[in-house]
Amino acid sequence: MPPTAGLGLKPQHYAEALVSDADGLWFEVHPENYMAAGGPRLRALEAIRERRPLSLHGVGLSLAADADPDPGHLAALKALADRFAPFVVSEHLAWSAWRGVHQPDLLPFPRTRAALDRIAGNIGRTQDVLGRTILVENPSLYLPLAGHDLDETDFLIDLTRRTGCGLLVDVNNVFVSASNLGYAAEAYLDALPAEAVGEIHLAGHGPDEGGSALLIDTHGAPVAEPVWVLYRRLVDRIGPRPTLIERDDDVPAFAVLMAERDRAHGMLTGTGAGARPQPLPAASGE
Amino acid sequence: MQSALSQFQDAFVAALAERTAAPLAAWLPDGEAEPAGLSVYRNTIAKGCIDALAANFPTVASLVGDDWFRAAAALFARDNPPAGAALLAYGEGFADWLARFPPADDLPYLPAMARLDRMWTTALFAPEAEPLAAEAFALAPDVLAAARPRLHPSLAFAWFDRGLPGLWLAARAPEPGEMTLVDDPQGVLVVRPEDTVRSRQLDLAGFAFLDAIARDGASLGQAITAAAEADPAADLAALFAALIADGVFSGLAPGDPA
Repeated sequence: MPPTAGLGLKPQHYAEALVSDADGLWFEVHPENYMAAGGPRLRALEAIRERRPLSLHGVGLSLAADADPDPGHLAALKALADRFAPFVVSEHLAWSAWRGVHQPDLLPFPRTRAALDRIAGNIGRTQDVLGRTILVENPSLYLPLAGHDLDETDFLIDLTRRTGCGLLVDVNNVFVSASNLGYAAEAYLDALPAEAVGEIHLAGHGPDEGGSALLIDTHGAPVAEPVWVLYRRLVDRIGPRPTLIERDDDVPAFAVLMAERDRAHGMLTGTGAGARPQPLPAASGE
Repeated sequence: MQSALSQFQDAFVAALAERTAAPLAAWLPDGEAEPAGLSVYRNTIAKGCIDALAANFPTVASLVGDDWFRAAAALFARDNPPAGAALLAYGEGFADWLARFPPADDLPYLPAMARLDRMWTTALFAPEAEPLAAEAFALAPDVLAAARPRLHPSLAFAWFDRGLPGLWLAARAPEPGEMTLVDDPQGVLVVRPEDTVRSRQLDLAGFAFLDAIARDGASLGQAITAAAEADPAADLAALFAALIADGVFSGLAPGDPA
């Protein structure tokens, strides 16, 4: 998979996504939205998949729960992965399912060594069932917790070493979490080994409407400029990686999202809107 | 003894439900009694549930308005959280819950609207099957009468003792017209033979016809007889042709020779 830029696929954009002729465009969906027996959504995804690479980005496997991944969910994920042959399958370093109840969010946990063992086992189980490695994404964090044994970067790196999984680096989540919990986003990104990073996410955030100073990972706004700066810095260090523009709320027209996607694409490929200003040619006879 | 991670998850879920950080005290750094972050998680979870219910019950949402719907959906979700991550099917008990929800007492049609929305959403995500075209039924009369049809896997139909299907269909129309609730009983059928969910009113003969097949595995001849008994004045040929055009049949097995 060449490192080009993709777009989170929304049902209201199926028709335009199908006919877009953008260079290197790929799409990503949440498999949970396609865990159905049939229907127009699966048909549309099939048509788009015939023309474009696809990534499956899970939000419901609950890898960080102190429980085995739900066999039914894992089977549904495998069925989709077998059917659509995505170039990557990813999930989050978070939990959502616990004791039979699903909380539709990506919840935090104390990063203890015991949790590392449990999550490495859950990733291993997932990869065994899928028959492929997955990427694991850093979550957006809102709650300072006591009792961590490891920094998040060390925790993620240990998971890659133990399981062979790769990392999906969500630069907006790094920005939001660093702001909310008070650490340096640059140092966080610099700690991630280039060879582990398989994909990058970019999304928008916003203020907490509840009135706190927290930033919220809303996926409801354009990517913020400081996040673009962090992104360029990361790509300069590790090289280009498949990069996704995510938008899940206040979804604008396809063309508006494609303009953001084209900016990332330009930064990855050195062309178009996102390209670096070209240096002046060196004077001859130097 | 429970692992530390299990204890944390139990405490986190309790802190979400009880709207206090107290259960999480052992994991919170000193000083912050009610951290704002916990509210962020609570709000995101509630929004995820409410948005899914709004998507799955659009007619209910349009009839009661956004504020009423979101307030009711939040209460439903608190007591009936999703059991799985795929929220396409979330809200199984919503219609029954609305029937017991005191603020909906003056909206007695609302549980039926939820039930009909659920039929529509279920049809949308039902398994695929090729609908039978009219040519498949071009058989000798005795062979046709003995044949046993298979109903499309997306088909749902129901009978209501008031005009609730008409109210629901009017509310779902792209440009909703006048919505009136008549006292006459009405049926409804919902089916997705290909990409699009179709829904329409069903008269008593049409309901009896489909019910005989779905309930008793009736042959076409037996189903026609059931329709004629339900309404002796029914135009049975038109009824059958309309069901074929709707795409409600996905198979036809030869029957036993008479």
